[in-house]
Amino acid sequence: MEFRILNRGVVTAVAALAYAAFSGFAFAGSDEPPIKIGFFSPQTGFGAPDGRSALAGAQLAINQVNAANGIDGHKLELVPYDDGSDPKQGATIATKLTSQDGVVAAVSGSYSPQTLAAATIFQRAKTVLVSAYAVNPGIPKAGSYIFLQDVNGTVQGRAGAKFLADKGIKKPAVISIDNDFGNALVEGFVAEAPKLGMTVVSTDKNQFGEKDFGTIIRRVIASGADAIYLVQYVAEGKQFLRDWAQADGKLTLFSTEGIDSAGFYSIGKLADGLMFTTNLNRDSKSEETQQFLSDFAKAYDFPVDMVAASSHDAVMLVVDAMRKNGTTAADVKAGLDALRDFNGATGTFERFTENREVIKPVQIQVFNDGKISSAGVVSDPAIITP
Amino acid sequence: MSYLLVLLITVTILSTVTVSLNMVVGYTGQPNLGQSAVFGIGAYFAAVFATSYSMPFWFCFLAAGLIAGVAGALIGAISLRLHQDFFAITTLGLNFIVVATFQTLPFFGGATGLYGIPLPTIAGYELDYPGLAVCSLLLLLCAVGVSLLVNRSWFGGILQAVREDETLAASLGAPVARYKSTIFVISSIFAGFAGCLYAYFLSTVSPQTFGFNDSVLFLAMLLIGGSATIRGAIFGAVLLTIIPELFRFASEYRMLIFGAVLVLVLRFHPQGIIGEDSLIARWTANVFTDKRARP
Amino acid sequence: MTYILIQGIVVGSLYALIAIGPSLVYGLMGVLDVASAAALTLGAYLLLVVFQASGSVLLGVAAALVLTGAAGWVFQKSLYVPILDRGPIVTLITSIGVYICADELFRLVFGPLQQSLGIQTAIPDLHIAGVEVTGINLLIIAIGVGLLLLTWLVLTRTRYGVVWRAVAQDRDIASAVGIDSKKVIGGVFVIGYALSALAGILYALKYDSVIPTMGDVPAYKMLAIIILGGLGSPLGTIAAAFLIGLVETAVVAQFGFVVPRDAIAFAALVLVLLIRPQGLIPSRVVRA
Repeated sequence: MEFRILNRGVVTAVAALAYAAFSGFAFAGSDEPPIKIGFFSPQTGFGAPDGRSALAGAQLAINQVNAANGIDGHKLELVPYDDGSDPKQGATIATKLTSQDGVVAAVSGSYSPQTLAAATIFQRAKTVLVSAYAVNPGIPKAGSYIFLQDVNGTVQGRAGAKFLADKGIKKPAVISIDNDFGNALVEGFVAEAPKLGMTVVSTDKNQFGEKDFGTIIRRVIASGADAIYLVQYVAEGKQFLRDWAQADGKLTLFSTEGIDSAGFYSIGKLADGLMFTTNLNRDSKSEETQQFLSDFAKAYDFPVDMVAASSHDAVMLVVDAMRKNGTTAADVKAGLDALRDFNGATGTFERFTENREVIKPVQIQVFNDGKISSAGVVSDPAIITP
Repeated sequence: MSYLLVLLITVTILSTVTVSLNMVVGYTGQPNLGQSAVFGIGAYFAAVFATSYSMPFWFCFLAAGLIAGVAGALIGAISLRLHQDFFAITTLGLNFIVVATFQTLPFFGGATGLYGIPLPTIAGYELDYPGLAVCSLLLLLCAVGVSLLVNRSWFGGILQAVREDETLAASLGAPVARYKSTIFVISSIFAGFAGCLYAYFLSTVSPQTFGFNDSVLFLAMLLIGGSATIRGAIFGAVLLTIIPELFRFASEYRMLIFGAVLVLVLRFHPQGIIGEDSLIARWTANVFTDKRARP
Repeated sequence: MTYILIQGIVVGSLYALIAIGPSLVYGLMGVLDVASAAALTLGAYLLLVVFQASGSVLLGVAAALVLTGAAGWVFQKSLYVPILDRGPIVTLITSIGVYICADELFRLVFGPLQQSLGIQTAIPDLHIAGVEVTGINLLIIAIGVGLLLLTWLVLTRTRYGVVWRAVAQDRDIASAVGIDSKKVIGGVFVIGYALSALAGILYALKYDSVIPTMGDVPAYKMLAIIILGGLGSPLGTIAAAFLIGLVETAVVAQFGFVVPRDAIAFAALVLVLLIRPQGLIPSRVVRA
């Protein structure tokens, strides 16, 4: 009966697949076993654009290190996974990396929900996880093996408030994406604003995929605000700017690292004059930053952004710890704890705080004529200490 | 091998939800697109009690089931007023409303969600993954047991009569409203318990974890496995959890394969892979039938 | 106030365009077709591809409408009609499965990133009661209102409308009277999908963005709109579409982004259904 043949064929195929999947990728066949660093980012789903930049930045770091003979002759290998912009996958991927793939450390090139879910697993497996650009303050709270590479969300919000206040803004309105990134920044901004003599006129949070900002813009203008603190990602940010051009408002627009992403550049002239907080200073005189920018431009055909720079630095942090301390999982942790004066593409910092966060100045950049350049920096210790 | 353990826990918890969904879909024939909402309600309330109020595991577990059960009663009440497509879309809408509630109210952690849920402790003994696996398996067995009980009981018989022809059943005196509501409550209680375990397992909950897409996934698991059968529910859950993991090297195509499998099975073999009247079921029956010639 | 009205009608017109096809389909076959939202995305991508290849907007629009309509015909013949007797759950989940496949195929072929159309609409902007209305919005309003009138006309005054209503009421008797219900079903899918493609084109033009996930929100929102309007009632659907568009805009204008937008449509749905289970303008077709 044909059904029986089909059945046997299916069973054999599934068994073969299962064998292949569970036996792992043990076919490398090189003499020196490579040092594996785990990595996950959203390659599919709504986070795909940032995932592309993140993976590029991380891979560039690996390639740079391997070109310089690796770590004591051992090559590095990135073990990347796609988390599909889905928090549930964070846990599965983390387990796979720690128990099956034998990574000595990992970097999260993804958003906070996935990173949070993964952090618990990495902590339990006593393997270091460095979060490249996910900035939920809860991430490093997951445990002593979890490190935050980027300035946390609340600090960025505070820095944004400081910069606006210094520019003479008195009545900002907040229009933010409704997720943990947006919430963290808004929290920082709203808490700091009164201390600087500003009154937040309104706070509005939109969902992903929001396309109609015209109504909310009119509402904000009518309320007498003198600035808009815009916390958005690329797609929503672009739609906002298109509606903003229609609305003919005179308010100051100020944004965040959410739009510091390769896909945003196509907005062109509509972004002229838009300033934002971020960690990548394109005009930086630092050799690390300039080297990174030029290497990235040579390797990839899409523009560099803070996501790529952050992922790059996160990997380099692990490399740095390994160079100084050793290549086991415990060595990496000790190495990061003992890290001093790290120079990365996204700036330099003295050491990780006792909560495994960083103290870095917050860069202010501005769009003009399709280019990004520096418009200032916030380095007031009261603001930037988490 | 803790990767297998993590898979086992995931599969068991999701199977429990699918089995619970089958109680409603299989027995009343009503298309419930809101199972993820009750699953999420269980998970979220367990998370809130565990983190904000530091309540012990047994409390969070019971609370999750109870509150999910109340939600189930609501859905059951709605099912009495609305049928088939109206009901399907309304439960679909409930997903969005529930997720919006989780996302907006600070009580539920807002868009950030809740994190840092500690490992459950029972009688002073902290449960790690092996313990969670045992808990999930026990829960699944309970759900299956209750399903079988309902199936074989008089209660189940009435429900099947309602499924076949509600008007007729009512005219014969069956307490349709009461029985339908009851099965919705039972189904939701189990989904709520499963949600609690899932929250402890992930140690974080966020609004997107329990959206509409997951309600579709549960229903798909049930349909692909074989609707109205317990074995179909479990098989569907196992299949749709394991296959994407096996295909991680082709992760680009995961969702495409899922959609394609869904369409192909429903188009060409809508009874599900091991449901009633499916090829496998018929083959098994054939193999185990006594074929000796009879005078 | 004027702004809210205009914006609400624009949003509502787009919703109406997307919802009318599935509403006609449901009236005819009792089937909820989520896959028609894929027609939206398909229309937008076809426009993008043809425009980039030929430089002609008109050609792009024509190609999008024709090819998407054809896709609709193929889809119903190969997938939907054969499973009609399997019950509503199966057809709904199948259409969701098709939508997922379509979504993924768009992503795999065109990439996950947003693409810009780069088309400037040559329609001039207008000032209406102190509010500036852009050309594309004018076009959308015109199409939306036109659709409403056209649907009413066709359904009540033409032979096609009578035929549709006949098949919707009772397929078997319609066949007995000589109506080829297969042709009617095929025709409804072609028209419905072409209209969805048109909606996709208008979305792409208005927001200058083509992205694989652009059909996600319309897919599920349109289900709410169809039910709200009264299942199987095309006019009710259009009315519900405008209503939801206006309510969403009014809520944002009054309260800001206080609740997720999608939840509004469904909250409205749940409320209305609990009070009036037949929907706003119930169809005279009785569905068991």
